[in-house]
Amino acid sequence: MSMSTEETLRLTIAALLHTHGHTQAELAAAIGSTQAQVSRRQAGRTAWTLADCDRLAAHYRIPVPILLSGPTAACQALPTPLPTPLPTPHPDPEATTPEPATPTLVPPAATPAGPQPAPNPPSNPPTPGQPSPPAAPLLPCTRCGRPTSHRAEGRPQHLGAFCTPPTAPHTATPTTPESDPGPPAPVPAPVPAPATTSATTSAAPSVVPAAAAGQPGARHMPADRPDVTDPTPDPEPGHGPEPESESQAARRPYQEPSDMPDLIGRAVAEETRKHPDDPEATLAALVRRAIPDAMTLLDVCRLGGRYDFTAYPPAPDILKKTTRQGADDIWEARPKWRLATLPAGRHQVTALDMNGAYLSALKTHLPIGALQHHTGPEHDRRRAGVHLITPGAWHHDDLPNPLGNRAEPGPLWVAEPTLRLLLRLSGPREAACEAPMIHESWTSGSSENLLEKFRCVLRDARENAIDHGDEITLEYVKTMYSKFVSTMGESNANHAIRRSDWMHIVRAQAFANLWLKAYKARLAGLTVVQVMGTDELHVIGDWRGLFNEGRGAQQVKVKDVYEVGAA
Amino acid sequence: MADRTHDFGLYGADGEPGSLAAAKVLDALAGFFASPVTSKRGLTARLRYLTTSPSGPKAIQDAGITVRPRTLKAWLTGRQNPNKKNLGLIDEAYKALRRRNVARYLLGRLNARGGTRVELHPLDQSAVEVPRQRTLGFRTIKIRRWDEIVASWAEGDLTALDDAWVDQITDLGSDWGKYEYVTSIGFSA
Repeated sequence: MSMSTEETLRLTIAALLHTHGHTQAELAAAIGSTQAQVSRRQAGRTAWTLADCDRLAAHYRIPVPILLSGPTAACQALPTPLPTPLPTPHPDPEATTPEPATPTLVPPAATPAGPQPAPNPPSNPPTPGQPSPPAAPLLPCTRCGRPTSHRAEGRPQHLGAFCTPPTAPHTATPTTPESDPGPPAPVPAPVPAPATTSATTSAAPSVVPAAAAGQPGARHMPADRPDVTDPTPDPEPGHGPEPESESQAARRPYQEPSDMPDLIGRAVAEETRKHPDDPEATLAALVRRAIPDAMTLLDVCRLGGRYDFTAYPPAPDILKKTTRQGADDIWEARPKWRLATLPAGRHQVTALDMNGAYLSALKTHLPIGALQHHTGPEHDRRRAGVHLITPGAWHHDDLPNPLGNRAEPGPLWVAEPTLRLLLRLSGPREAACEAPMIHESWTSGSSENLLEKFRCVLRDARENAIDHGDEITLEYVKTMYSKFVSTMGESNANHAIRRSDWMHIVRAQAFANLWLKAYKARLAGLTVVQVMGTDELHVIGDWRGLFNEGRGAQQVKVKDVYEVGAA
Repeated sequence: MADRTHDFGLYGADGEPGSLAAAKVLDALAGFFASPVTSKRGLTARLRYLTTSPSGPKAIQDAGITVRPRTLKAWLTGRQNPNKKNLGLIDEAYKALRRRNVARYLLGRLNARGGTRVELHPLDQSAVEVPRQRTLGFRTIKIRRWDEIVASWAEGDLTALDDAWVDQITDLGSDWGKYEYVTSIGFSA
């Protein structure tokens, strides 16, 4: 695994920060920058410049080449007295925790076998003679839930990106007792993921199994987790370290879900009472009220939300339907693709069905306010909307074009998820196609969380209904989210919202999610035979290592198994 | 005390009176025939609407159509076509009648469940020089009583509509004057 110089430098800086127990703000002050700039650079949104490297090297008093040669070397090369006499919060109590930086675990006999002519013996930082200031109480890290004494921006948080469970790194780096990061390999580099939301989108085939196996769920928001019943991570001062299992360690600290009235359960109970012993009539009544109920639920879910989105923004002409049955100008990139030439021989094809595709697609970057017009090739990650683009050519016969089967050449209007998918695929990491050229955009400041709580409530209700075999609730929930998506544009069936842009964006997100699943299957060596509609993926090969079978929103269901080709 | 804008657009702001934008939304909610009056289908539909109800003749008269009943019949059967001026008048007469007919139901829907939430999208300041621009966000108000607004809209009385509208948006507070002119108004019923 080779990392770019940028990534190595970021890791090195994170390691140095951790070693010294400094915050980004302190580092920023030392190198004449601001915390925000350091944060942006560490997150990879802007680059560390060479001038920055000079300042960093001067600050840490290590040569620039050493600074660039990785965290281990940089930490070894540190001069004996730490550069600035800032408090070094490396408390002894932490030695008993699973938190890294435990000098007692490291054999003291480990001599610096490093190739660097570093004048510093490894005995420097954790020497008992060093006065260690009173340690901050151990609190669960807001990112990974493991106890930590560090504070970032006033919150308990591990510094840098070192929230991964410290298993292998320790044995691997006996030479640097205090630079807990160890080899940079197990540390997830802070690569900005531009395109999508799903965690199922790892790029390299070698990464797929690892990511699918047990990545600490970056997608879980606190409200997501009603199943976590562990009360321990309540942030109370003086809360001592407790032995935690690995699975708990990977979780976020538990947050009490806010008081949400169970609107779905209430509606079902009400209609059941009105139509006793007649499930069909109950369901019919529920389906009839699904749209207004969904809008009420959305309103309730937005309680306390940060943004007040507009429900009736003025729509640009491209978003207006010209005739009743007609369409507007937005291309949603619906996949409809079949493999042109099947592989030789007879193969078994599995038709997979993605569960709740539109439900999952509610998590997407949605414009908050009225769309504003821009021209020019820039794409602002903090805005979302629709874009007029000229896509690059697609040369892969074994995968569908991410734009769907568009026959018409020339520029086209696409929604945000499609553009983000194309940008991601044209990026240096995937390099699957040329970058699309953006001509104009109608965008507004975006948020990925506008419908998030709404989605979580519906998803939980759906899973609950599946667990209890409650077909009525299941069907009701399904109607709610599917009709919500289909009527939030110009529809007479839903007067409470008119956002055609959202409708296109949610649909495009569903299609992009499906496309990414096909991509993932292809990268894992499967043959993709057919990609259709919102949720249909036909593959040849062992897909069970890639997707989980089941009825949950992150699982797939087998629709059909059939054979193709001549024996 | 905020007052009405005296010289709108003096510094380059763009927008339309809120009442006019609201009238457009009400028109959209009234649901006029989609086919234009210039098409055969649209003309027939409008003439039928105007001639099959007892209040039709009055609407025709009010719009200023002074043809004889014979001519009307000839228009309906397609033996004769109205001239350009009369086409415009037919459209106006149809819209006026439709507004009057729809008003009662629309009013009921707008007033139902404690009123209707209205979004006001602020005026366009992109042509205003920066020192003269002001901070304008989008605002919402809940209009509880639509009676005057709908009545004046149904009668086609734009002055009364503007008065009724301003009367309602004063609920925005002392800066309601910033929202007298808007780029668009959003509500539904």
